[in-house]
Amino acid sequence: MSQQTLAEKVGVTRQTIIAIEKDKYSPSLEVAFKICIEFSVPLEAVFNYK
Amino acid sequence: MDFSYKEKGLIASLGVTLLVFGWYFYGSFTNLKLNPEPPGIVEIIILIVWIAVLESIIQAFVSFKNKSQLADERDKLIEKISYRYSYWVLSACIWFFMGHILLNAWFDHLPILTTPGGMFHLLLLFFVLAEVTHFLTQLYYYRKGL
Repeated sequence: MSQQTLAEKVGVTRQTIIAIEKDKYSPSLEVAFKICIEFSVPLEAVFNYK
Repeated sequence: MDFSYKEKGLIASLGVTLLVFGWYFYGSFTNLKLNPEPPGIVEIIILIVWIAVLESIIQAFVSFKNKSQLADERDKLIEKISYRYSYWVLSACIWFFMGHILLNAWFDHLPILTTPGGMFHLLLLFFVLAEVTHFLTQLYYYRKGL
């Protein structure tokens, strides 16, 4: 899945997806859950707190 | 350095603001002793319309290829943070100006703070400083991240 496709499905811009991947932005819970639902994985598999 | 379309738009808006208002303030402050009265309403309206038109053209040009033009949660959060900083800059400037009015003896030798035209231009400068702070803060957070 491309960044643009994921961004459109989750409801954010591609730049926001890039920022999330680069650890420059922590998304809201809503966006975090939407990302996990898209990949069918639990939240802990995608995000961790440090 | 790779800039996003949003950052390019901000840089362009910042450039337009600095160029147009820089030219305006240079002319106003250097001629303050010759022309101490504030500018007319028509002049100010023309200046503001110029800024708005130039910024709209630049924004349309920069975002021409950008499919997603709506602001998402990250854009809105960065904008909120930048408004907070620009508010503080504007508040500090206004407090300084109020302090000058109350304590007139401090700067009574400066035409910029004693003539109506000088005071008008100075207040306009405060708004421009707040706007520049708004742009710079957004650029900083888009680069650095939240």
